[in-house]
This record gives sequence, structure tokens and C-alpha cells, in this order.
Amino acid sequence: MKNKKKVEDIPFEEYLRKLEKIVNQLEEGELTLDESVKTYEEGMNISKICLEKLNKTKKKIEQLVIEGEEKYSTKPFSEKKGENTINEF
Amino acid sequence: MNNYTESKIYSVSKLNKYIKNLFENDFNLQEIWILGEISNFKLHSSGHMYFVLKDKESQIRCVMFRGNNRNLRFMPVDGMKVKVRGDVSVYEKRGEYQLYVKEIIEAGKGELYLAFERLKAKLRDEGLFSEEVKKKLPFIPQNIAVITSPTGAAIRDVITISLRRFPNLSILVVPSLVQGTSAAQEIAKKIDFLNKHFKDIDFIIIGRGGGSLEELWAFNEEILARSIYNSKIPIVSAVGHETDFTISDFVADLRSPTPSAAAEMTIPDKNSLINNLSLLKSKITRAAKRNFELKTEKINSVSRSLKYQGPENKINQYYQYIDEFSARLNSRIKYLVELYEERVKKDSQRLDSLSPWAVIERGYSICRKIPGREIIKRLEQIEVGTKIEVIISDGKILSKVEKKEVVSN
Repeated sequence: MKNKKKVEDIPFEEYLRKLEKIVNQLEEGELTLDESVKTYEEGMNISKICLEKLNKTKKKIEQLVIEGEEKYSTKPFSEKKGENTINEF
Repeated sequence: MNNYTESKIYSVSKLNKYIKNLFENDFNLQEIWILGEISNFKLHSSGHMYFVLKDKESQIRCVMFRGNNRNLRFMPVDGMKVKVRGDVSVYEKRGEYQLYVKEIIEAGKGELYLAFERLKAKLRDEGLFSEEVKKKLPFIPQNIAVITSPTGAAIRDVITISLRRFPNLSILVVPSLVQGTSAAQEIAKKIDFLNKHFKDIDFIIIGRGGGSLEELWAFNEEILARSIYNSKIPIVSAVGHETDFTISDFVADLRSPTPSAAAEMTIPDKNSLINNLSLLKSKITRAAKRNFELKTEKINSVSRSLKYQGPENKINQYYQYIDEFSARLNSRIKYLVELYEERVKKDSQRLDSLSPWAVIERGYSICRKIPGREIIKRLEQIEVGTKIEVIISDGKILSKVEKKEVVSN
């Protein structure tokens, strides 16, 4: 990426837009052979980045426990009804 | 009494304009609420509403223009008790004063509703609802927080739907009261707390399931509205209700009719994203492949045309030159050959003395095999008994081989 911004800072949708642009560029067929090889490789690279972005996060369901103005902790959240006690109540 | 010329004379329209100005500059006649009963209601085809508002002793003409009645959630009918908000002014054409209505509330709605309307108007004037200050939600959220009751259906719905749409999502549940007198303050505090300690949260969903106006009241309070407005983290309002909005809905960066809908609206469907990605990927591959094919074809056609313009053509021209040259050479050779043949013919008479007949004339003979007329030069050509002919100067002798004998010379 020529862009100075880091991959993590560029949002998914911007990459998606780039990918759509690449499709258009290639479909127009105006590129030189060198350019189309480069563009194709960039497209493959971006689609890889996009997939990585989608898979980056891990599933996590936690509950916030506020213990004071500045203090807090988290604990796993159970979806079962009535199992959670709420400190603040 | 003939001195009317000395006092000022007004035209009717000037007078009405003057009176209209009086009305419009009187603060007591602007933005007022009037309680009354609707009668003679007419909805004109233009979309404007005309009616009369009356009580036991009196009545006033009212008009509600299309732009204002567009947001009405009920159709006024004759006999309906309502509270209307509007300005009193003059319809100059007829010289009649009337109420220009901006809002109608059914009178039965009560105090809470009026409080709601007052706060809504106040916050709107302050710019809290303005579209320009609304923050954009990230397209792919990674960490979201949900402020709601940890035991209600709302949190279960949000979690279930969110994970169904995007299975690897991080959700922080922030338990809070969502109804009762301290609920608004508590939710507001949680929003502030998250803003202070959780920089990486993409957005916060605040909400609860549906309920009566009283049950949803926390989401209509000013303290919560201000906390939503001040939040650096985008807020999604997800209060269950079918028709009316809450103040939170208006201030929030995104409003949704239920907690489930909030999850549907904010969490992208990972599967369709991946499908879309692979579609784009195959489009790119196909287009690139097609590009290469086009280029190859171009190269081929260029090299074809080069054959006519380039060095290859030069070479062919030389070939042709060589062909022509060699043809000329051939004909020259042929000519020379013919010339020599001619010469040889002329000399042939001279050569006659060398012919075999001349030799036979001198006493030599020729032996030939019968059949075949093969001239016999060596013994191996014949066997004993082979028939032969011997040619001499005036005829031939038929004979048979009696014996073969090698003569050494």
C-alpha cells in the first residue's frame, strides 16, 4: 500500500471501495499489461486484508462491573435469565 | 364633517397589513397552546387542513398547512378535544384573523406528554437533534457495549441477533436500571463511564423492550439526552415502541424501534460480506484474465501487421528479388545451353566419322543378346546356349553361344 496510513487504521468499507474500483479498472481494460498485473495483485491483497479484518475480533461476551468512580472489572456474561446479580441495585 | 381629506386615508389592504403586523408582533399571540374542540374539519386536496376550534362560548378559524400536518399521527375529526400549538395572524384577503396551527395533541394525553413536547422543543432549539452533529457508526464494529437490564429480553435479543450476524463480535454488557426515577441518571452515568474508560468501543446501544409512556420515561429525560449528546462514542437508541419516539431517539446518533432492530441495523451480516468479497475477487480474476487475453491477442495482431511493415517484410522482398534474379539466371543458363547444343549439332557431321557404324564398316561388329538387345560386353552377361545376334556392316548373324572362354590380354 502506497498509503502512509496503517492497515488497521483504514476502515473495511474503504478497502471495499478500493476493491470495487479495481474491478472497474480491470473491466475497462485500459490498463497496460504491467498495470493490470499490479492492479490484480493489489486486488488480491486487499481482499485478503478485508477477510483478515472480518476475522480479527474474537467472540467475547462480558459484563461490566463498576466498583467505583475509577475502578471496574469485567466478568463473563451468562445469557441465562436471572443468573446475574446486579451490584448497583 | 367634510374634513376627511385632512385625515389619512388607508386602502383596505394597507389596513389589513397593519392589523396583521399588530398580531404578529404581539408575543402573546405567537407559539401558544389552545385547548378546544374540533369542528367543521376539512382536509383540502392540497393537503392543508381547515377547521374551527371552539368551546362553549366562542370559536376561532384554524388552518394547518401540509408541511405541519405531515407529522400528525392521527386524523382529526369533528368533536375531538385537542390542544393545538400555533400563531394567531390575519388572513389579509378576507380580513379574518385565524390560528395557524403547527401541532395538534389529543387532549387526553396528559401532562407527561406536554412535558415531553416542551423538552423536545427546547432540545431541538439547542441543536441537540441536528443531523450535522450525529456521529457515523463504523461499518464493521468489533467492540460494542449494551446498556440495559441484564435480565430482560432486550439484552438476549441483542446478543442473539448480533452473534448470528457477526459470530466473532465482542459485546460488553453494562447492566443498568431502565425504568423508575433513577434510571435516566444511571444510564447517563454509564455512558459517561464508558466514554472515560473504554476508548475502543465502537458504539453503545442503550435501550429496553416496549412499555407504556411512563415505563419508557427514563428515555425522555433531559439528563440522559445531554449525556447522549456529549458522548464521544456513538449512541444507538433502542427503546421498544411502535409509534412514538423518545427524546433519546432524537438525540442518539442512530435510532431503532426495538433492541432487536438495533442489532439488525448496526451489525453487518458477515456471511453476505464474505460472499460479496469473493464475488469481487472472482470479478477481479475474471477481468484480469480477460485483460491478459486481450493483450495477447493485441500482441498477435501487432506481430501480424509487423510482418507487412517490419524487417520480416524486407526479408521477403529480398527473397522475391532473389527469386527473380535466379529466374533470370536460369534463362541465361538455358540460353547458353541451347547455344552450345546448336554448336554441338554443327559439329556433329564432323563427329559422324566417329559413329559405331563407321567402326563396323571397318570390320568391327556388335553382339547383342536375344531377346533384350542388350549389348554384350562381358562373359558374365551370357551363358552357354544364349541366343545372340552379331551386327555387321550389311546385316546381322543369329547365333548360339557354344563356349565361354576368358582371354587374358
